[in-house]
Amino acid sequence: MAATSLQPDRPAALRLSFLPDPRSARAAAAVIRGFLTEQGIPEKDLFACELCVAEACNNAFEYARPAERNYHPIADAVCTEGEIELRVTDRSTGFDLPERAEAVSPAAERGRGLFIIRSMMDEVSYLRGSPENVLVMRKRRQRDSGSAALKAPLSAPELAAELTDCKRTIAGMARELCFRTETLSAVFRCCAELGRGGEAKDFANRLLSDLLNLTSGDWYVFRLLSAQDHRLHVETASHPELQSGPISLPAADGSPRGIEATAAATLTPARVDLRGARSNGSAADEPLLAAGAEADGLVHPLCFAGTLVGTLAVGRRRGGFSAGELQTEVVRTFAEFLALQTLNLRRREEELRDRVVVREMEIAQEIQRSLLPLDLPQLPGYGLTGAWQSAREVGGDFYDALVLNDRSLLLLVADVMGKGVPAALFATIMRGALRGLVARSDDPAELLRGLNSLLYPELSRVNMFITAQVVQMDLRNRRIQAASAGHCPLIFSPPGHAAVSVLPTRGLPLGVLPNSDYRTETGVLGRPGTLLLYTDGLTDARNPAGEMFGQRRLMDWMRAQRRPQFEAAVLGKQLLKEVNRFRGDAPMGDDQAFMLLTADEMSARAAVHAWWQARLVRRSLPRPAFSEPTAIRP
Amino acid sequence: MKIEHTGQNLRISELPELTSVNSGHFRDELRAALPTSPSLIEIDLSQTRFVDSSGLGALFALYRSTGDGRSAILRLVNPAPEIQQLFELTQMQQLFEIVQR
Repeated sequence: MAATSLQPDRPAALRLSFLPDPRSARAAAAVIRGFLTEQGIPEKDLFACELCVAEACNNAFEYARPAERNYHPIADAVCTEGEIELRVTDRSTGFDLPERAEAVSPAAERGRGLFIIRSMMDEVSYLRGSPENVLVMRKRRQRDSGSAALKAPLSAPELAAELTDCKRTIAGMARELCFRTETLSAVFRCCAELGRGGEAKDFANRLLSDLLNLTSGDWYVFRLLSAQDHRLHVETASHPELQSGPISLPAADGSPRGIEATAAATLTPARVDLRGARSNGSAADEPLLAAGAEADGLVHPLCFAGTLVGTLAVGRRRGGFSAGELQTEVVRTFAEFLALQTLNLRRREEELRDRVVVREMEIAQEIQRSLLPLDLPQLPGYGLTGAWQSAREVGGDFYDALVLNDRSLLLLVADVMGKGVPAALFATIMRGALRGLVARSDDPAELLRGLNSLLYPELSRVNMFITAQVVQMDLRNRRIQAASAGHCPLIFSPPGHAAVSVLPTRGLPLGVLPNSDYRTETGVLGRPGTLLLYTDGLTDARNPAGEMFGQRRLMDWMRAQRRPQFEAAVLGKQLLKEVNRFRGDAPMGDDQAFMLLTADEMSARAAVHAWWQARLVRRSLPRPAFSEPTAIRP
Repeated sequence: MKIEHTGQNLRISELPELTSVNSGHFRDELRAALPTSPSLIEIDLSQTRFVDSSGLGALFALYRSTGDGRSAILRLVNPAPEIQQLFELTQMQQLFEIVQR
């Protein structure tokens, strides 16, 4: 049965749902007309179908039940070889379809819709249901006469009208094509220039001059939204008088001031109409008044991915700027292109800045590394080591050791407060200044006073300061003289059973006051004994829980090393390991630097003696006359 | 839509459609433009492609506002054949003079 059935019609169908308003209903009817035109329906029937669908669609939302006001009615068109079926689904209270088409009095204002449908369609039925009703309208297709009618020769006036129509369409298309070509070539020109570098402002000016040529405008203002203060700043404008101050978004009282602010706040284009602003506004309320009271034009927001980037205002000073659809679209195209390129340029500039910062950091680290002595002096009876660990950001931690003469050793640890190249440069200056000053005095307080008076003018000018500690050690009797400029305390193990001592911090950092005074504190290092100079990066190191390493832990560690089992270099590594173990995975907050001096158990004299003996035994040479070394050189 | 005054005459043209979308606007514009005692109101429909029942309603309202056509001649000029048929179907020719030029 199925196999022998007639070849079925292959219907063409279209289904639309539309918003419940006149404009959408009208659009739905027009779309259905377009669909039926494609199916070869003759003009007379097209008009009837379009009209009936329009009437049915209007009824569908006009009489919708109150609860169904937002329902989107549906319109269907099904076209078979034999007939056209049109259906409109509504959620209205429904109506009784009259049996026949009854003429409506010409004097009646309403009620013609159903009459028209009844008259123009061959078959009409209204299927009432819940919640939907369907109006079904059918019209038989006139098979041959329809196509014949289409091909019927047109009369002279009809031909003339069609020709005028065609000419108008072609003229419109040509104008649009011309506009779009110009727009595209302007965009291409600017794209080509993008690679050549130059400032974002120059680029915008070139693009906007092209826009003026295209739109016959004679002024523009291009504003960019600042990320810092969230205000629209003029990036560039066609005339100097249009370079007005920034516009706040929104204004202090919450309402946008001026056309640009309105366009930016609503993210929709706004016409420039200054007639109202001229009579009661001021230039502060409407910055575009600077273009002239007769000026008109268009303000387009610049958006990227839905986010406001800026505004573009363009127009004519004496009025007459067309704000037609095509013109608006050209302005929109330019605004979007400008927004995109501006963001790209900004991003590129930021990348470049970041690269400069990274390079600066590398240079600063180079300088800082070069400040640290390659080899510390090796002294008989003593061990000396230093260590420095850099945080990601460069600070100004450094240390230095100078052998002043055969019995005097000078140690320095300092922390320049500041980052990058300036901090590293101050460290260099300070290192040089200290080397100059030791020729006059080896008293730590005196040295700090000298350093402060030399460095104060430069440091105070850039709001920087340096904390420092200078220790002078008498190598013969292990007497310690130390002075501090706002630096961490000095920790050492004295002779006897007292575990560790701390020399207190006194004195202001260098560069705070022009005539700071410093005081030399004294102590004696035990034998064996350990002395530690460090920067606060060591005690301020934090573990992942946010806990600080602190001075107490450092003192505990020092207590354990009161009678050192190992040489200074090994102890230094152990201390670093201890601090790093405590820090764990937590990032390093600040640079860490320290210098560790150990005094051997035997005297310097005995040490040298033992050393010589060991050599002589190995070489089996006669024992020479031995005296204490006269000079200790690094 | 274009509205021209010539003395007591009113001429409306460039009307692409007269439908539920613009019939309200059409009524308002005409009401505002109507002279106190018009003698001829001519609506040029040569560019009009579509009229629906709301459009017919608007024409009827114009008829009413001229004292049911007693105070002025109401003329519809050059309607397209389909629109002319619609006017005939709804007997608008009883209210308006329909002419082809």
